[in-house]
Amino acid sequence: MSRTAVVTGLGFITSIGNDRAAVTRSLRELKPGLARVEFLGNPSLPVKVAGTVKEFTVDSPSWRDWRYPERYALPRETLRSLAPHGLYAMCAVEQALADSGLGADLLGDGTTGLYCASAGSAFLLHHHLAHMHAVRGERGNPMGVVASIAGTLNFNLAAHYGIRGAVGGFAAACASSSHALGCAIDDIRLGRQTRMLVVGAEEVNAETILPFAAMRALSTNPDPATASRPFDQARDGFVGAGGAVCLILEEAETAKRRGAPVYAELAGWGQAADGHNVAVSHPEGSGLADAMRRALADTGLTPDAIGYVNAHATSTPAGDRSEALALKKVFTDTGARPKVSSTKGLTGHPLSMAGVMEAAFCALAMKDGFIPGNANLTSPDEACAGLDLPVTTLDTAPGIILNNSSGFGGSNVCHVLKPWRG
Amino acid sequence: MSSTPPTSAPPDHNDAAQALGRHFPDEVQQAYTRFLQTRVPADADVVVLAIMLDHRPDKKLSPAFVPADSMGLVADLGFDSVAITEMVFFLEDLFGVRITNDEILRVRTVGDLRAFVRQKLTAQPPAGLLA
Repeated sequence: MSRTAVVTGLGFITSIGNDRAAVTRSLRELKPGLARVEFLGNPSLPVKVAGTVKEFTVDSPSWRDWRYPERYALPRETLRSLAPHGLYAMCAVEQALADSGLGADLLGDGTTGLYCASAGSAFLLHHHLAHMHAVRGERGNPMGVVASIAGTLNFNLAAHYGIRGAVGGFAAACASSSHALGCAIDDIRLGRQTRMLVVGAEEVNAETILPFAAMRALSTNPDPATASRPFDQARDGFVGAGGAVCLILEEAETAKRRGAPVYAELAGWGQAADGHNVAVSHPEGSGLADAMRRALADTGLTPDAIGYVNAHATSTPAGDRSEALALKKVFTDTGARPKVSSTKGLTGHPLSMAGVMEAAFCALAMKDGFIPGNANLTSPDEACAGLDLPVTTLDTAPGIILNNSSGFGGSNVCHVLKPWRG
Repeated sequence: MSSTPPTSAPPDHNDAAQALGRHFPDEVQQAYTRFLQTRVPADADVVVLAIMLDHRPDKKLSPAFVPADSMGLVADLGFDSVAITEMVFFLEDLFGVRITNDEILRVRTVGDLRAFVRQKLTAQPPAGLLA
């Protein structure tokens, strides 16, 4: 077996679209997916914009009240143990399986694994704990735990699809689904699995997003068109977002044998932590620079081989500056000048799902031959001097891509995607 | 077993009452309202049957299907332990009663379930439900 990991299926429930065509259009035309929101019915809150998920109504804790597109038919036995973001995830997986030409019946022979990432459902957890307090601990919804704690995605998806390979969840905040994808790449490269589903998902509600306002991490710009502006001097925080993305990785010969569509090769990855602060990136981006260097070393590449970097940049003052400095160290200082953009200007920042979402965007860009531009970038931060930050989408093949992610505690992850010529 | 009465969930924390009001047929909601006012056991029977059918995993049965009292929840209607636990929680929250694991294990048929809920509602008058 080749032990080469290729991307053969993608599914999207995102702020910029709920299918591949809509997402591609947004990335090409720089159409943002942000909208006005009023969290907790409180008009005086300064946070007024989020990356909302359209076509879904999941603001009730009861699955019976949810509304979602009829094309996804889910039985009550599946719905009853889902959180709202679990519903998004089911829909994204269904899309990815269809995109890859895989029947769900093929997932149960032990050669397919599943790695997931979300922060759990703070919304449902709060609901169930409030009930527990109200009845003084005398009873509780038996589905409350598996629907709401971190891990709910892997519990539910593994059971629904009968997956018998490696199953697990990753919790590294905004780097979580990047760890999930990295470990999935390794499972294929090590010959442990021939197929991996990688899923990231988050909710767009007060319980998931608003706590970041207490950290002063959220944008208070009330204009959905300009609130998320990575690398721009006027950026003032990130815009919370949610949804779900599923990326299917497959061993290349297996994919070829069944005639699967191949978007790209996921050639390797690297990770390194800052060892610096619980919530703030290293001021010089040292951990992220190391993660990029390790990803390059893992794939035997030099910086000048990279054509495009999908940056983590979330539109926070400190984080974007840190990433810009990391990029300068790895690329500018070695004479390399890849295109760099953050697609979060379009999507907002969907926390745990950001890494796999952006890897999927990179796979789309590679397949369709374009480089997404930096939405809302009008005056780049001075820390970006020397970086090539296109402000419009370029109609050129990106070549080899790096996909960056950073999470709390200074976790940094970088994936390498290569064009597939198999 | 403790002799203290079970604690009723206030309406904004009572998922079961909200689900009944939003998703169950009018006649079931009316039977529930009547039961709270008059405590006629036949009205509780209507609600229990509707809840049981709502929680049964096998949805291939016709919506008009009425199970015989002798039908087994697991053997005939496809319930697994999770679905039974989920149904029991719904009943506990809706009627403000407390049901132990031992009691759940003794309920095997549709008739057992109805008789058990009747007995429970007599033994533990659900105070405060109309609040």
